[in-house]
Amino acid sequence: MIQKKICLLGASSVGKTSLIRQFVDGIFNERYLTTIGVKVDKKLVEVNGQQIQFILWDIEGNDRYNLFQERYLRGAAAYIVVVDQTRMSSFLDGMNIQSLAQGAVTCPSVLAINKSDLTQNWPMPEEDIENNKRSFDFHFNTSAKTGDNVELMFERLAEHFLGEDE
Amino acid sequence: MTALLNDFLKAMDQIVLEATSMQSDQLRLIQGESAWSTLLFPELRKSVLVNVDDRVPFLNDFLHDARIVWSGNTNRKVKSGLFTEDLPDGKEIHLEATAIKQDSHCFLLIANQSEEFTFRQNTLQAAREMLLSNDRLIEQNEYLHNRLIHILKDPLDNNQLQRAISGVIEKAEFGVFITDPDFTHIVENTAATNIFEQPINPSSAPQSPLKIVLTLLKNQLPEFERVVMSKSTWDGELCWMAPPTTVKWLKVSMHPVKNDLNEIKQWIIFVNDISTVKHLVQRNEQLALQDMLTELPNRYSFWQTLEQQITNQTSFYLLYVDINEFRKYNEFYGHDEGDNLLREVGQRIRRSIKNYDFVARIGGDQYAVILTDMQNESDCQKAISRLIAVLSAPFSVENGQRFNITVSIGAVNYPKDAQSVAELMRFVDLSAHNNKNKKQTYIQFYNTELKAESHRAIELENELRMAIMAGEFELYFQPIIDLAEDRIVKAEGLIRWNHPQKGLISPDTFIPIAEKSELIITLGKWIISRACQVAQELADKNHDIKVSMNLSPSQVYDEDLYNYLCACITKYNVDPKRLEIEVTEGVLVENYTNTDILLNKIRDYGLTVSVDDFGTGYSSLSYLKKLPIDYLKIDRSFVQDIATDENDKAIVKAVIGMAHNLNLKVIAEGVETTEQLDFLIDNDCNSVQGYLFSRPVKLESFIELLNSKTLSTKF
Repeated sequence: MIQKKICLLGASSVGKTSLIRQFVDGIFNERYLTTIGVKVDKKLVEVNGQQIQFILWDIEGNDRYNLFQERYLRGAAAYIVVVDQTRMSSFLDGMNIQSLAQGAVTCPSVLAINKSDLTQNWPMPEEDIENNKRSFDFHFNTSAKTGDNVELMFERLAEHFLGEDE
Repeated sequence: MTALLNDFLKAMDQIVLEATSMQSDQLRLIQGESAWSTLLFPELRKSVLVNVDDRVPFLNDFLHDARIVWSGNTNRKVKSGLFTEDLPDGKEIHLEATAIKQDSHCFLLIANQSEEFTFRQNTLQAAREMLLSNDRLIEQNEYLHNRLIHILKDPLDNNQLQRAISGVIEKAEFGVFITDPDFTHIVENTAATNIFEQPINPSSAPQSPLKIVLTLLKNQLPEFERVVMSKSTWDGELCWMAPPTTVKWLKVSMHPVKNDLNEIKQWIIFVNDISTVKHLVQRNEQLALQDMLTELPNRYSFWQTLEQQITNQTSFYLLYVDINEFRKYNEFYGHDEGDNLLREVGQRIRRSIKNYDFVARIGGDQYAVILTDMQNESDCQKAISRLIAVLSAPFSVENGQRFNITVSIGAVNYPKDAQSVAELMRFVDLSAHNNKNKKQTYIQFYNTELKAESHRAIELENELRMAIMAGEFELYFQPIIDLAEDRIVKAEGLIRWNHPQKGLISPDTFIPIAEKSELIITLGKWIISRACQVAQELADKNHDIKVSMNLSPSQVYDEDLYNYLCACITKYNVDPKRLEIEVTEGVLVENYTNTDILLNKIRDYGLTVSVDDFGTGYSSLSYLKKLPIDYLKIDRSFVQDIATDENDKAIVKAVIGMAHNLNLKVIAEGVETTEQLDFLIDNDCNSVQGYLFSRPVKLESFIELLNSKTLSTKF
């Protein structure tokens, strides 16, 4: 069975843990509980008749209390930078994390623009947002609350890995 | 001994493993046992060998770091950081591993860190909720501020304004007031009304929300008068108490909306109820008095300390330290680096003062320092010198780039200058803001003359405003002669003020006032318009002359400049090739990104660009290579002594040589003698300008000069 390590990165309270809970257990909790350190979860998925096990690294959000640590990316098959579409600063933090991660590893990167069930509040030109999206290999508008595009995001990654292995 | 050690490890809830080989994931249990270790590694029930494999992926990954430590020749250790594992009983365990190399042994210590985890989670939960609330506040406030400024730029009467704005502000989650320049109410939103909902009191009528905010500002903000007079932006925290039950913490910001004449059209006031955030902060008493960013005491703590000092009735000095042009660093290096700068400045101030003295961050880029045990002003001056010395050392950003800052410092003495908190603050604020040159560090001790001076500056600004409305300005022209063609090829437009009573006023007198009051934008626009008009007038008279105009630093920041320039060119139907823009070297270096974009656009449109006063500032070749420029104008101070001073000769020769290597042409300013001219001709200077040929003259006289063709470099 193929195993792939996926790291979830991003500013604090963007919904990294919620995305994993939605994907692994299909549940969502409104209450924000900050992650401390790292928690690793596993989820087995089947795509095109092939099984793939995701090893999901839920990493404490980066902010002034916790700086980005590239060592967690070691051995990652991909990483997902999660940003909150209601909070502009999380987008800027996410782009900063992306440039740090790109300097550390060469694996595919995913931008998850989370909280898509809420109104977007990024007062910046669409062109700038699009330009930033281009630095990622994949991007999805996700909602950990409704589950929108959460499975799809991991499915696409799985397809990508299977395509790579072929 | 082993049993004792085992009991100790049990009490500490730790296990110690030792690597069996460098390559293997198998480790041997040396000491310790606990419920979680056997749940995590069931093989421990039967054996002392543990497989740190895929079942514990975080630990398995950490073995990479561990092996690096173990394979080294020196004794050392590395920690994994906290991680969480799911146990088979459905519970979670919070652990931390430490890889240790001790002599020939390779240990892995795994400790249950659930207590540490809970402590960190509780602390960071509150801190992050606070960050989140702050982020939201800042973003929503900034967004609405920008939208409102955009709407308020249109000339609307109050009724139209109410209609245009109501829809925009009604959705805001915080209070918004728009007032006229005298703080008379124009419009407010429902959130504003809700924030100031007052307990029912049969003996008095409720106050209007705007009146409450204004009273709070006047009572709790000693700088209020200065903020209003200087048309500045302010934000900070105020506390509203409406007995018997209401106590609210409010984050208030006030922003002026100004017209082209730098007159206030409206005030925008935002009021955010931050009582919840305050409550979170107050869970930790220390945090309530601490500035989150710099970890210095905050404004509230400063207030308390200042009151305490006054109660003690012992002499002290209060300093107000303001970082000059902080916005510039923030924009150039980004907000994170801006935050780092604020932290570093705070730490440096803290280090420069005595342990028993006090420093607080009291505003965005402002710090207050209370210096006690000072015998006289000279002692205070020495303390300030130490402070300036530490702040003068370079600061560096993450990528290693270094930069310097300057500060404005105001100083006031208790009890000599003032005896109340409000007066001390007002006077120290006035002293610090008296600085006219924000590029230099400035110290001002309070004196009564300052107050009078600040009123005089306001009067001058008013005069300047009246002069703009009365059209008392005129553009004079000074010829620039091309040495190869031996004819006038260009005219530099220079503004003059024909004061009805005082006569011709030099720009050296009024430009600094215009710069400070932002009237420079309006003046600059007038110059652009007039220069375009004259360039076309000269073309109509068949003169092949380019007109150059100076851009001030503020104009380079003005987003509207390029569009305005294009509009003028279209209006007067002038060929852009007949126009030139002059910027000083300082503008290029200080605001590289903005200037680069702007100058590229200007050159693409067909105008040429010259660098004025070259040599006085930074002389950075790297900027010259990068920037889109056509001409260098050597500053008059170098030209003045080129006939006699060997250093100036060498400098001018070097500048001409360097410019030609970069395909730039050189104009020498301030040419007054034939000796200077000869030197410049001998050294291949391209053009000259100065009193030797003509002073700046009125347009009619300039046209006469052109017609007479008397100007020549052949003496």
